[in-house]
Parts: sequence; structure tokens; C-alpha cells
Amino acid sequence: METAIITVRDVRVDLGGHTVFREVDLTAGPEEIVAVAGENGAGKSTLLRCLAGLQTPSGGQIRVLGGPPADTAGFWREVVSAGDEPAWYPGLSVREHVELVLSVHGGGRLSVESALSAFQLERRAELHPLTLSTGQRQRVSLAMALARPSRLLLLDEPERGLDADFRERLAGILREYAAQSGTIVMATHDIALAEACGARLVTLEAAR
Amino acid sequence: MRSWQDRYAASLSAAVAIAIVGQPLVSVLGALARQADPGRISSGLALVAVAYAGYLTLVRTAGPVVLGAADASWRLLSPLPRRTVLGRTALALLTVSVLGGLVLGVALVAVLGAPDQLSLRLAAALVLGLGAGLGGMAMGVLGQASPAWDGWLRALIAVIVVAAVVLAVLGAGPGRHLPAVVAGAPAGPVGVVAGCAAAVTALLVRRAWTALGRVPARAILAASVRAGRVAQAAVVLDPGMLTWVVEDNHWRGRTLRSRRWPVTGAWALAWQEARRLGRRPARLAVLAGAAALPALVVTAGLPQVAVALTPAGALAAAASVTSGVRRDDDNPALLRVLAVEPRAALAVRALPSALLGALWLDVAFAGLSAVGASPGGLWWLLGPACGPALAVAALRMARRRPVDHSMPVIDTPGGAIPTGPLLWALTGVDLALLGCAPALLALAVQPANPVPYLLAQALTGLGVLWGYIVLATRGGRRRTRTVKGVQLQ
Repeated sequence: METAIITVRDVRVDLGGHTVFREVDLTAGPEEIVAVAGENGAGKSTLLRCLAGLQTPSGGQIRVLGGPPADTAGFWREVVSAGDEPAWYPGLSVREHVELVLSVHGGGRLSVESALSAFQLERRAELHPLTLSTGQRQRVSLAMALARPSRLLLLDEPERGLDADFRERLAGILREYAAQSGTIVMATHDIALAEACGARLVTLEAAR
Repeated sequence: MRSWQDRYAASLSAAVAIAIVGQPLVSVLGALARQADPGRISSGLALVAVAYAGYLTLVRTAGPVVLGAADASWRLLSPLPRRTVLGRTALALLTVSVLGGLVLGVALVAVLGAPDQLSLRLAAALVLGLGAGLGGMAMGVLGQASPAWDGWLRALIAVIVVAAVVLAVLGAGPGRHLPAVVAGAPAGPVGVVAGCAAAVTALLVRRAWTALGRVPARAILAASVRAGRVAQAAVVLDPGMLTWVVEDNHWRGRTLRSRRWPVTGAWALAWQEARRLGRRPARLAVLAGAAALPALVVTAGLPQVAVALTPAGALAAAASVTSGVRRDDDNPALLRVLAVEPRAALAVRALPSALLGALWLDVAFAGLSAVGASPGGLWWLLGPACGPALAVAALRMARRRPVDHSMPVIDTPGGAIPTGPLLWALTGVDLALLGCAPALLALAVQPANPVPYLLAQALTGLGVLWGYIVLATRGGRRRTRTVKGVQLQ
């Protein structure tokens, strides 16, 4: 019997006296990719923050991996989130950032070399991330997220800054992650990327 | 166009300033007519050299040719003559270098003394100081226009630092009387040296004025962006933001030689600080050199300065390896990817601060002991015993919020005290004082047997560290703050 990784029931979020969204239901199981689409302000990023335990919903119920999401180290050992660009540690190269993640986790899904190769970062591996372009930094961020072990991947606009060729490549990487029993929920404006991933498309509508 | 009211206001301000500072200044200058202590001349000159190296480094880091945001955006890239656009900047640089030079000149006379012909020696020292101030600034401008001159300026800074080290060594050893020969030189040759310095300075200033017209716009723009960020940090009184500007500028554009992580798990977070520090050898050298400053100021006859300098230096050393904890506190996204328990992360990150703070303190104590200002023996254990307390203070400083400007301003007879910046400045120092209380007591009492004090210090330090880590991580890492207008959690 398939066990749901994510269950969202009748969730509502109010921010500053304004309802961002209401009556949202969502489920995602293992080996499934869910793409959340919607206009600007529909609450895609807010929903991802709720799933990550960074935003408490005003109503409804959210369960992730069998329990309520919480911003704790135990939760983040199973879940990885790649949204806004992370702040980079000073003094470390791209390769060392990826390797740091694997060293802390004691191994990962990908080796350092495989991750650099998959995200076409071999020729940028010795640079500090601040030297890279926006798209290249996004690739470093995704490489770190996908290299480490996890069961659930939360991606906020993973296509941000990426060129068309690499988006196709990213779709293949995400399909591979899901095929290895992973679950992905991503907020995106790129429907082509969602289709290339084989994602189930969910459209979020802003509350009126 | 300046009106007569402007001129009247400027003249009146100048007259009031002269009336206020004139008499005290004359008293200070009059007190310089004395024979300097030969044993203190080397150390004093070394301190003056360190100050001058700091001035040149500041000039080079600042630009020094910078423009305001509007001028940098519009006037710099227009067909207007470059020197016209930079006229106001040039005047500001001239003012800064003249003031710096005057301070340097007075410091020179204070160190060397003036056994005879005070006015002539003072004039010569002021000319030398002005030459150093203006010449250094001119080299900074030339360095901005040409990489070759920038290389010369860097070499000059290195030479001055080496000279400071040599003078410090001379001051601590049997050669301490050698610089007294300089102090006792007849006024005539001193005047000739000052004249030569003035000629060289005039040449440099002239070349800098010529070069001002061809400083590349990209160099001015880069320096102006840096200066703009510095100004923004100064306006909002957020020195934390300023340090990130400096840190990010340092790493942006750099190619690094990646190395494997020798440790796994949360320990890798401590290794990140060690690796960063190892990749900044200049900063490491400055830290190491600064450990000699307490001994230097004692030999220069300023023991009360050493009392403040030693704990401040140890705290600065401990705080210099907290970039990781500051980064994660500003934006915990990377720490979430690493999935390390906040308590374990904070405990591991205390390690570099504790080690570096302890080492710095021990080197400083060794220097003080060498000049007879501190007891030897078991006292070296004071450094390791203070390490944990220094680490706590450094972590608290790294995690403090930006200055709260909504805090009240207290009016006192000595002037208004804004409590926001005051509390910000004391955050961290408070725990350093609390955690190092036994060590401070031991230094004040200087007991024959320091062992009880050392034990008390070790226990206090570890207790404060444990308490801080437990309290700081209580309730997980749910802290919200705003960085550059973006709300983070």
C-alpha cells in the first residue's frame, strides 16, 4: 500500500490580514513529482514554506513524512529545500561547498564529481560561488540539494536563471531522483519543465 | 556660488574652533620640549610605523578616489573633464591627508622629544608627517590609476611593517639605544631630511594630480560602490553589514584550490573557519603581529593602554573566526541543507574561537612577560582557561541583532547617550567580562600561587559556554530576521 509523503487538508494561510490561499488540498507519494503552478501572489512559495515547517498555516492540516513539518535538524535530514539562493560560506570553493554537504551527511546520493558533472560545474569548481552568474549559482544550490541523501525535495522555482538547455537536463535529474523513491514538490512558472519531469500539475489560485 | 553669509559662517566657525582648541594645543606642544627616554624611542617609533601602515592600508582599501552615487552614475561617464568631476574628491583627500600628516608629525615629536630648538624640530616633524600623509595619499591615487604604482604602494606598506617589527625587536633588546641617535641628531640635518621629504612629496602630489585625469572609470566606480555600501552601513549603524561587504568583496572573483574535508559530521563546520583563516594569510599575520602590541605599548611607556589592548585583542582574535555562525544566523538556508543540530553546530563553532583567542592571549602574555610586565610560570595557562569565555563572547557578538535605533537616548551632563548603539557594542563584551572574571581578578591581585584562580577561570569559562549554548539554542532555530529587505527564517 502506498504511503503518502505529503498530505495537505483544507489549508488556509492569512498574512497581514489578507488571505493568501484557502481550501488547499494536496497529496504526494513516493516516486511522485508535483508541480505547483499559479500566477504571481497565488501563494506557491508560501505553500512550500508551509510544507517546510517555516510558515504555520492559519487553518487546516499538513503532514509531511507522517508528522507535522518542523524546522528541526531531524526533519531536514529527510527533507531538503532549495528556494531563495543560500548565503555562501566565505572562503570555500564550489567543489568544497558540495563536498561539505556530503561530509556532514557522511555520504550522499551522488559523489562530488558526479554532482559537479551533472550540473555542468566542473570548470567552475575552483571558484567561489559569488564569482558565478545567477544561473550558475542556482546550479550549485541544486547540486548541493540533490547530492545529499533525502526523501523529499522542495523546490521553489528551480528554473530560475537556468538556460533552456539546462532546464531539459534538470528535468532528467529530477526524474532520476523521483525514480529512486524520492518525492518532489516544486513551485514553478515553467510548464514545459513540469511536463518534461512528468510532474502532476496542480494550479494554485489566489484567494479573492 | 558661496554667499557672504556662508563665508561669514565658515570664518566664525574657524575662529571659534581656534579659540577652543588653541590653548590646549599650545600646552600640548609646549610639553614636547623634553629629552625623550632613550629606552622608549624604539617602541614609540614602532607604534608610529604601525599607525602609518594602517593609514596607507586604509587609503588603498578606500580607493582612495571615490564619488557619490549620483556623480558616479552621471557625471563620471559624461564628457566633462575628469579632474573637474573629481575636484571635490581631491579636496577631501587633501584635507584627510593633511590632518593625518599633522597627527603623524606631532606623534613623531612626542616619541623623539625635542631637547633643543623646539620650533625647528616641531616644524621638521610636521613637514615629515605632512610628507608622509600627502605622499601616501598621492601614491594611493597613482595606484588606482596604474597597477605598477599599486605594487609600489603595497611594497611600501610591507617595508613599513617590517620596519615596525625591527624597531619593536630593537626596543626589546640591547639595541634599544640605537634609535636614540636619531632623536639626538642636530637640528640642521633634521631640517635637510625634512626638505628632501617635502621635495619628494611635491613630486608625488604633482604626479597624482596629473594621474587624476586618467584614473579608469571602472576603478572609481568599483571604489564608489564600496564607499556607498560603507556609507549605508554607517548611516544605519550596522557594522555587521560592513564586515560582510569587506568579506564578500575579498572572495568575489577568486579562484581557490579545493581540498578534501579531513573531518566528517558537524566537525566540518569548525574546519570551514580554519580553512577560511588559512586562506587569508595577511589577516593571520596581522593577528599574529597584533599580539606583540601590548608588549610594545608597555615599552613605549603606556602600560594602561596594554591593560585595555590585551583583552580587546584576544576578543578580536576569537571574533575573527565566526563567519560561519554569522552567515547561518543571517540566512540559515545552508544550515538546513546541512541538517546539523543547532546545539551541535554552535558547540563545534565555538572551537576555532576558543583556540585562537587562547593562543592570541598566550602570545600576548609571553610578550608582556618578556618585557617584565607580566609574571611567567604557570600564568601561560590563563590563555587556555580564558578560551571558552572568549568563544562565548565571540559567538554572542556574531549572533547579535543589528543596532536598535528605537531605543531611548539618555541625556547626561556629558552629552546624549544613544542606548541602541551602546547596547549593541556591549553585547558580547558583557559575557567576556563575566566569563573572564577570575582571570581579571588574578591579574589585578597577582597572587603568588595562581592555580586556584586558573581552576576557577577554567570552570567559569566552561560553565558560561555551556549555559550560553543551551540558552541560545533553546526552542530550535526558529529565529526571524531581515537581511537586505528580505525576510528570512
